[in-house]
This record gives sequence, structure tokens and C-alpha cells, in this order.
Amino acid sequence: MTEPRHRGVGASLNRIRLVAGHTLGEALRMRLVLLFAVAAVLLLLGARWLAEFHFGAPELKLIGDFGLGTMGLLGTLLAALATAQLFFNDVANGAAACVLTRPVRRWEYVAGKLAGVAALLALFTAVLGGLLAGLLLWRSGQLGVASAGLPVLLSACALQWMKFTVIAAMTLLVCTYAGTALFASCAGLLLAVIGHLRPFATGGGLGWLRVWPNLARFDAEALLASGLPLPAQQLLGLAVYWAVCVLLSGVLASYAFKQREF
Amino acid sequence: MRPVAPDIPAVELRAFRKSYRLGWTGARVGAVQDLSLRLAPGQVLGLFGPNGSGKSTTLKALAGLLHPTAGECRVFDHSAGSAEARPRVGYLPEAPRFAPHLTGREFLFYCAGLSGLGGEVAAQRVGEVLTWSGLAGAAGRRMGTYSKGMKQRIGLAQAIVHDPDLVLLDEPAGGLDPQGRLALDGLIRDLAARGKTVVFSSHLLDAAGALCDRIALLGKGRLLAEGTTAELLGAAPAAPPASRLEQLYLDRTNGHD
Repeated sequence: MTEPRHRGVGASLNRIRLVAGHTLGEALRMRLVLLFAVAAVLLLLGARWLAEFHFGAPELKLIGDFGLGTMGLLGTLLAALATAQLFFNDVANGAAACVLTRPVRRWEYVAGKLAGVAALLALFTAVLGGLLAGLLLWRSGQLGVASAGLPVLLSACALQWMKFTVIAAMTLLVCTYAGTALFASCAGLLLAVIGHLRPFATGGGLGWLRVWPNLARFDAEALLASGLPLPAQQLLGLAVYWAVCVLLSGVLASYAFKQREF
Repeated sequence: MRPVAPDIPAVELRAFRKSYRLGWTGARVGAVQDLSLRLAPGQVLGLFGPNGSGKSTTLKALAGLLHPTAGECRVFDHSAGSAEARPRVGYLPEAPRFAPHLTGREFLFYCAGLSGLGGEVAAQRVGEVLTWSGLAGAAGRRMGTYSKGMKQRIGLAQAIVHDPDLVLLDEPAGGLDPQGRLALDGLIRDLAARGKTVVFSSHLLDAAGALCDRIALLGKGRLLAEGTTAELLGAAPAAPPASRLEQLYLDRTNGHD
């Protein structure tokens, strides 16, 4: 038999790809994901009728805000819950043990899990983003009013996805030392809430929270309201910030996971 | 298959000890205490003992899933769980529930890929182990539809898909009916005939004892007896042959449950 390839960047990337693909496959069959996807689609489509309660705001703005709000809320919940469930499913059913007794390094497993969840969140964001774009286009055509352009929507969706992946990475970090999926999910959601409130943590002994990922930086509602796409420089800055947050969480998760026993 | 030096033990435990911390109190409970064992390549070792005797802990430590609290676990002269040891180990966890949405073939390809096999080599190995495990006809079915015996067989197949030198099986006969157990015994015998070193745990000493070159009896994390079947039977009180191993097991583990 040809000697198997265990070493080298290519072999490492291949293992990460396999774990990520497996994670995505499992995620797409989770009832939780299906439930969130259906709920998100229904809420988004319902935004058209919520326009009746517009309180003076233009309908397209309301649809945009409501659509992004739905995406943000359900995406946050999905990022925390799906990450925790996918991780602990593997631990409970022996799949993690089977993977980790192979030439798969612990950090590769963490990276694969994160990449799989990130792919799931990308799919979720793309489907909802596409629906929102369709809805805005349809109503703007009917109303004869210009809506936010595609580059604006794309920027908004990219920001949302970045936020979700940071939440998933933080939840994965909790998972690596937590004992149950419930604890990890709750802790992940709590971390997301703290991340959103981070800009307000300026005084009263909360200065230390400056090291916390500032999830408010990824809020996309203002972007949609302005109707202008994010300047390339700002998008690049946010991408760097996102990469640092995900990488740092991933490195810490890998370290904690290395100590974990099965 | 890699050449295995006969003078290097396949498995070596040196005063292996494992204890777990209990909750927040910091108190520790011992799972395995001062366990020393050596197993030559190509031998079959059965770990027997009551629940909580340390069988699974020992297997997990050999698989690199646990870190010893003290002592050493070595596999082919490498630290268990090291990058050198892992490619040479195949592991079947206790009562696994593999991804039910995958077919048997897809799952084995996934495992082969993680072990560094790709393309034609992976296809050839997957085909071989599917035939070997008697699952070739069910390879296209989702694993969620498999019977318990089939799940154990696919578990065995994933453990050897990368042709490891050491196969670790945690309670492989757990929950199997007599036919399933017979089929499993046949597969373990075949692994031994192929020169693989096999370490497995079981409660069923009378049934599984006959498979082993060596037997280790554990109780409360301690090694109570270890040797070849003949050596251990020599130490057992007179009893009908079929139940002599079982009698020895009961004598040695009395008070250890």
C-alpha cells in the first residue's frame, strides 16, 4: 500500500477540508438549522406586511431594517446553538474520538469545525440576503422608489456573516472546555450580547472589556440606511479586525482543546 | 503494511496511573493505578473486568485520548497519542453512533481521507474493508438504517481502513446477539491472523477469552492478573473447562465491582 501522507501543509489543509465538509453536512441535516432557516424566511417575507405599521418610516427602509434585524438575531442564535450542538454531538457519539485517534491534530479539528460552521453561516446569510434583495427589488419596482443597491446589500451581508463567525469562534472556544452543549450555547450567546454592548463599556471599571470583540462594529443597519456601500478601506479594516478576532478565538480554542480528554 | 520490529513492544504501559478531578472540589478519584503491561506485536490482549475497573480508560490512554496522570503509555516505542503513534493506531470507541446520514462507504472514505489516504488507494482500502467486514452489500445504505451488529462492523472497518498495526476495541461485543458476537470474533481472529496487534475490552470472559493470546484482569483500576490463557488457567481452581476462565474472573474480581 502507498504510504499515507500525514505531514505537510497540503495534508493538513486536506484534513481541515474533510472535517469542515463533514461538519457542514451534519449541520444541514440538523432540525435546529431547518427551523431557523424556515423561521428566518417567514419573518423576512412577513416584513412586507409589517410595513403597515411603518410609523412614518419609508416602507423600503422598514423592510431593510427588519430583514437585517431578523438575519442578525437568528444568525446570532444559529451561530451559538449550532456550533455548540455540532461540537457536543461529535463528543457524545464517539465521532470526535475516531477522528482524533487519526493523524488529525487538535487544531486542525478545531479549524475544520469552525470552517464548517462558517460555511453554514455563509449559506444562511446568502439565502436570507438573496431573499431580502429580491423583496426590496420587488417592492421598489412596485412603489417606483429606488432601493439600496446590490453592493450595499452585499456589504451588509458580509458584515453580518463576519459577526456570526466571530460568535461561532467564541462559542467554539467555550465548547473546548465546557461540559455540556447547553452551557456552551448559553455562554456563547452571553458573549455575543457582551460583544454587542461593548461600545457602552467605557467607565465604571469596565475598561477591561476593550479587549473584547466589538460586535457592534459589524452592525449593518446604518449601512443600509445610508444607501452607500462600505468604502473599501473601511471594509478592509473590518476584515482585519474580524480575522484577528476569529484567529485569536481559534488559537485559544485549539490550546484548550489540546488539553481536553475524551 | 509497515515492517514491525519484533523486539519493540506494540504496547507498553509503565506504572500508568490515571485519576480524574471531581467537580469543583478538587478531590481526585483514581481510574487506573500503577498499571504495567507489555504486549508483543501480533498478539491479542483482552482486558477484562467489571464496570469501572479501568478498561476503557486504559484503551483511551493508548489511543491518545487521555493524558496519563503518572507513568507512561507507549505504542511501538512512541508516546501514545503522538504524531508518530497515531497513524499506527485504529480505535473503536464504546457504543459509537456514527453520522447516520452518511452511507457506510461515504463514512469509510471520510475516515480514509483523515488518515491520509486518497484517490485509488482509498477506494481500494474502502472496498477491501467493506468486503472484509461483510458490509459490501450495505455500503450504499445510510448508517442510520444499520442494525447494531452492522454498526459494530462498520466501526471495526473504520478502525482498520488505514491498515494500522495496533487495533484498540472498546467493548466491541457490547449489545450484540450471539450471531453478531460470533461474526465479530471471526473478524478479530482474522485481524490477528493478518499480524495486527489487537487490544480489546470485554465483560464476556468465557466467550472472548478464547480469542486472546494474553489476558489482563482489572479491578478497581488495578491489574489483578495477567498472562496467557494457559498461565491464568493454571492458577484457577478446578472447574469445568468451559467456565474456568469465568471462574477465575469471578474469583479475582470478587469485591472489585
